[in-house]
Amino acid sequence: MDAGRHPLIDVVTNAQVVACSGEPGAFRVRVRKRPRYVREDRCVACGLCVEACPQVGGNEFDMGIKARKAIYRPFPQSVPATYVVDPDACLNFLNFLTPKQRDRLERIRAIKARKDPAYRTDFLVCGHCVSACEVQAIDFDMQPEETDLEVGAILVATGFQEFDARSLRTYGYGRLPNVVTSLELERMLNASGVTQGHVVRPSDLRTPRRILFVQCVGARGEGGRPYCSRFCCMNAVKDSLLIRQHDPAVEEVTILYTDMRAFGKGFDDFVERARSEESAIFLRGRPATIRHDPTDDTLEVFVEDTLAHEPRRIRVDLVVLSVAAAPNEGAVELARMLGIETDAYGFIARRDPAVSAVETCREGIFVAGSAVGPQVIPDSVAQASAAAARAARFLSAERVTLDPEPPPPLDLSGPPRIGVLVCHCGINIAGLLDVSNLVDHAAAQPGVVAAVDDAFACSSTGQETLARLVAEHRLNRVVVAACTPRTHEPIFRETLARLGFNPYLLEMVNIRDQCSWVHAHHPTEAQEKARALLRMGIARAGHLEPLEEGRAPVTRSALVIGGGIAGIQAATDLAEQGFPVTLVERSSELGGRLAAPRLWHLYPTDRPAVEVLARKVERLRASGARILTDTEVTGIVGCVGSFQATLQGAVTEILPVGAIILAFGADLADPAGAYGHGRLSNVITSEDLERAFFEGGPRVEGKPLRSAAFVLCVGSRDPEGFSGCSRYCCPTAVKQALALARQGVDCTVFYRDMRTVSSGAEEMYREARGAGVLFVRVPSGSHAQVLGETRAERVRCRDELLDRVIEVPADLVVLSVGMRARQPETARFHDILKITVGLDGFFLERHPELAPVETAVEGVFLAGTVQGPKDIVDSVAQASAAAAKASVLLAHDQVRLDPAVSVVDPDRCRGCGQCVEICQFHAPALKEIEPGTWVAEVNPSLCKGCGTCASWCPSGAITARHFTNRQVEAMVDALFAEASP
Amino acid sequence: MSAPEGWNPRIVVFACNWCSYAGADTAGVSRIQHQPHFRMIRVMCSGRIQPGFVLRAFEKGADGVLVSGCHIGDCHYLFGNERAVEQFEKTRAVTRILGLEDERLRLEWISAAEGARFAQVIDQFTERVRALGPSPLAREAR
Repeated sequence: MDAGRHPLIDVVTNAQVVACSGEPGAFRVRVRKRPRYVREDRCVACGLCVEACPQVGGNEFDMGIKARKAIYRPFPQSVPATYVVDPDACLNFLNFLTPKQRDRLERIRAIKARKDPAYRTDFLVCGHCVSACEVQAIDFDMQPEETDLEVGAILVATGFQEFDARSLRTYGYGRLPNVVTSLELERMLNASGVTQGHVVRPSDLRTPRRILFVQCVGARGEGGRPYCSRFCCMNAVKDSLLIRQHDPAVEEVTILYTDMRAFGKGFDDFVERARSEESAIFLRGRPATIRHDPTDDTLEVFVEDTLAHEPRRIRVDLVVLSVAAAPNEGAVELARMLGIETDAYGFIARRDPAVSAVETCREGIFVAGSAVGPQVIPDSVAQASAAAARAARFLSAERVTLDPEPPPPLDLSGPPRIGVLVCHCGINIAGLLDVSNLVDHAAAQPGVVAAVDDAFACSSTGQETLARLVAEHRLNRVVVAACTPRTHEPIFRETLARLGFNPYLLEMVNIRDQCSWVHAHHPTEAQEKARALLRMGIARAGHLEPLEEGRAPVTRSALVIGGGIAGIQAATDLAEQGFPVTLVERSSELGGRLAAPRLWHLYPTDRPAVEVLARKVERLRASGARILTDTEVTGIVGCVGSFQATLQGAVTEILPVGAIILAFGADLADPAGAYGHGRLSNVITSEDLERAFFEGGPRVEGKPLRSAAFVLCVGSRDPEGFSGCSRYCCPTAVKQALALARQGVDCTVFYRDMRTVSSGAEEMYREARGAGVLFVRVPSGSHAQVLGETRAERVRCRDELLDRVIEVPADLVVLSVGMRARQPETARFHDILKITVGLDGFFLERHPELAPVETAVEGVFLAGTVQGPKDIVDSVAQASAAAAKASVLLAHDQVRLDPAVSVVDPDRCRGCGQCVEICQFHAPALKEIEPGTWVAEVNPSLCKGCGTCASWCPSGAITARHFTNRQVEAMVDALFAEASP
Repeated sequence: MSAPEGWNPRIVVFACNWCSYAGADTAGVSRIQHQPHFRMIRVMCSGRIQPGFVLRAFEKGADGVLVSGCHIGDCHYLFGNERAVEQFEKTRAVTRILGLEDERLRLEWISAAEGARFAQVIDQFTERVRALGPSPLAREAR
C-alpha cells in the first residue's frame, strides 16, 4: 500500500519484461502489459461487477481451494485496487467454445454483418459486469500495450514458485484426498482466507483432529534439489502454534523434520515455546510411505523415528507438505533478456555469494529476496533495501525532491462550518443504508452548514464535489462518511491540501467496512449505527484543530561507527551516493573479523578473506569517505537530522551528522573452561583455528594433525546464557572440517541441528560428508565429553542417530564459539542513544520484518552483528540496507515532522518525569526552566504520536494532538445523544 | 435483572489504529457479519485509552465497553499496549467501586489480520452484555 501510494513509484502490474538493452545507468526495458479489461483510472473497487458476473473461474491466490468469479480482485489488499477479467473464464472471450464452434460463430457473424450493415459483430455475449459498473470502467476493447522504460538500474525481485509436490509419488500429493501443501494451509489459516482462519480437511471440510507436517519436501536432496529452503521449519512451527490456538478441536500436530533450522533472531526461543506449550510433537524422520484409508479418508504415515529408533505408524486426518521454494519458471528467460546468469537450479546467480547478497553478474542489475534462492522475510527485506542502496549509485544524479509548491492556505478561522459528504459507494453503502436519511441527519447536527451525497466520493467527480462544497459554503471542517480512513484518508487529505485546506480538519466516518459490509442482516440497526457514527464524526470534527507540519533541518552527512565489513560497506554505499561520511574505527586498522590473521577463507567460495577485504577497503577509500582509525565516539547528543558526535583519539572533534549507523560488531563467546578449554592445550576455538591456517595449518607438537573434533553450539542455544543460534558456526565448522579432511585429517563434527542454511552451505555439508567427515548428532540436553589429562586425547558422545556411544581420537578439539552482544559498547550506546536492547542482549530492531535495520530512535540504524549474529553475506546486505535507509533521510535538507504528536502544557506539568519513563522513543525530556523548576518537553522529531503519555500524565498536562481528550469525549457524548431526524 | 423486550445493549469499542481497527476493517473486506450494537472509537494506540474515556462512556449510558489493541509484542509503538493493560486495571478498579459487573468491561488483543476474530469477539461480548441487561449507570443516564 505504501509503495502503491508513493509519488515516485509507478506500479505496473499484469505485465512482463520482454526486452532489455542499453548499459548500466541507461537501460531501456520493454514491458508488455496484458489488458485487464478494467480501466485503472476509473475503477473504484466497489465490487458490483463481481456480484453481477455469472461465471466462475479458478483462484490462484487461494491455491484453487476457493472459486472466484471471472472478474475479480486477486486479493483484498491488492495494489492497484482495480479488478481484472480472466479471459479464460469470462464468457465474453468465448474461450469456452471449441475452436470449431468459435469458427462457426465467426462465420455466422460475418454473414449477418454482410446482410445488415448496422449489425455489430463486437457485441458481448454476457456483459453483465458492464451494465453493473456505475463508473464505466469495464472495457473489453483494451489491447496489450508495450512501453519502453528508461531506467538507470534494474532490481530483480521475482521471488520463487512452489516446488511441485506431485513429482514425489511417496507423499501422494494430488492423488490422496487429504494431503495439502504448506501454502494451501497458509490460505486456510489466513483470517481473510478461504476458511477464515480455520484448518479443514479438503475431503469433508471438517476440522482435522490430527495433523502431520512433512518437512523438506523437495529440498535437501529430495527431487533433485540439494539446497535448504530456509523458511519451512519456522513456518511449520508457527502454523502449529496458530492451529492449536485457534482450533481446540485439533488434538495433535506432529512435525516430521530432519534438522530444526531455527537460525534467525529469536527463532530458537519460538521453537522452545512450541515445545514447552506442546503445540507440536517434533519427530525426526522422513515418511517412507503414506497410505490412504478410504473408509474414513484418514492417512496412515509410515516413518522411522530416527531419534527413538523405532518405526512408527501415525494415523492423521491431514498431511501438510512443507514444500520447498523452487526457481520461477520464467527466471531463466528473464535472466537471458537482462544479460545476467542463473545458477544450476535456475535461480538468479549472484556475483559473489560469499560477500554480496544483491549483486548479479552484471553491473547495474541487482537482485533481492527469493529470486536467488529461498529467503526468510527479514533477510528478504534487508536485501531489498540493500539492493536499493547499491542501485542508487546509478541514479544519484537524478535525485528527485518531493515538495511541490503548496497553495496559499484558506482562511479557516471562526466557529465550525462543517460540510458532510456521504458516499454511496455504488450499492456497497447505498444498497443497505438509506443515504438520504443520513444526509438529513447530518444536516441537522450543530455546526453543519452543508450535507450532500455522492455515488463515489473517491472518484474524480466525487473529489470535485468536495472542492465545490468547500468553496461554496466556506467550510472549515469536512466530514466524509464512506469507507475506512486507513485506506482513503490520504486521498481526501491530498484533495483538501491541494485546495489550501488544512488536511487535519478532515474527519472520516467508516460506514462501509465497519457498517454496511458487516451488518447486512440487520438493516435497521445498521442504519442506526451509521447515524450514530456520523454524529460522532461530526462532533469530533467540531473540535479538530488545524495542524501544521513541522520541519527540522537535516545535516546531510552520516557517521558510521565501526570499521568491520558492515561499517565498510555502509560507509562505501553512502559515500558513493555523494553523501559525506565519517567512518570511525577504534583500532588502528579496518576490517574487524576479516582482517588477517582472523579469518582464513570464506565459505562457500573458498576465497581468502584478506583478498575480499582488500577489495572492499580499496573501494571504500575510492568512495571519498573520511576514515578515522584509532578514534572513538564518546558521546552523542541531538536527534534525527542533527546529531553532534564527540570524537576522541587520533582525531578529537565535535562532528555534526544527520544519521548514525552502528556497526561495531559482536563479541565471540568465551568458552569459560567448557570442554577443557584453557586446561587442555589442544582445545582451541574456531577463531584460533582460522589463525592457525595463516601459519600453514594447525599442528600438534610440531607434527601434522591426524584427527580433529569440532564441537558446535559453544555459547549458543544455551538456556542459561545466549539462547539463540549464532548462525555462522555450522557452515564455518563444515568449511573448516572440509579443509582439514582434504589434507587427510579424520574429522568429526558434534552438532545439535545442522543449520547450513546460507547460500551454498548445504552443498558444502554434503561435500564434507562425501569427503569422510563424520557428523555426530548430540542428544538434546547432553554434551560431548573431551577426555584427556593435560591435552585432549579423545572425544566421546552418544550419537543420537546411531543410538550408540561414539568415541573418536582428537589431536585437536575445535570449539565453535557463538556470538555475543559486544560489551561494553552495546551498553554504552544504549545509554548514549537510548536504543532498546532485546532479551538476547543485542540491539532491538524497529520491526523484524518491516524495519529490520531501523531502531526506535529515528535516524539511528543498525548494520551487521550489532543487531544479532550473522555471517558475512548477511552482514553486508544489512549494512547496505542501513545505508539505504540513511540515504532516504539524508536526501532532503529538512525532515517533515508529523504534527499529530504530544505537547506539554508547561503551566500544568509538575515535572514528575513519568512520561519520560514510559516513552520508548525518548520524545519527552525534563528541562529546568528556572532554578529548581523542571518541566517535560516533547521533542516533535522523536514523538511518534501514540498518545500514551497524554493518558499517563497524572497532571493532565499533555495533549495528544488530533486525538485530544475533548475530541474523544465529544464522540462519546454524540454517540449517546438522542437522535434527531 | 432481566432486560426489557427488544432491548439491545449499547457498546462502545475503543480500538487502536494499527491492529484492532484494522482487524474490524478486515472483517468488512471479508464480509464477516457480526452484531451491530457497538460503536467504534479509533485512537492511534491502545495506550491512549485512558480511564476517563471508558468511564465517560459508562456515565453516558454504555452497557459495555471493549478496549482493544495489538497483541502483546506486536504494538506499533513497541509497548503502548502494555501501558494499556495498566490503565485498564485502573479503570477496572473504578468500575468495581461504581458497582459495574466486571464482564461489562473487556480487554482484547486483535490483530489487523484477525477479521474473523474481531467478529467473534464482538458477537460474544454483545451476548454477554445482553445477558447482563442494561447497565445500572445507564439506567440513571437515561
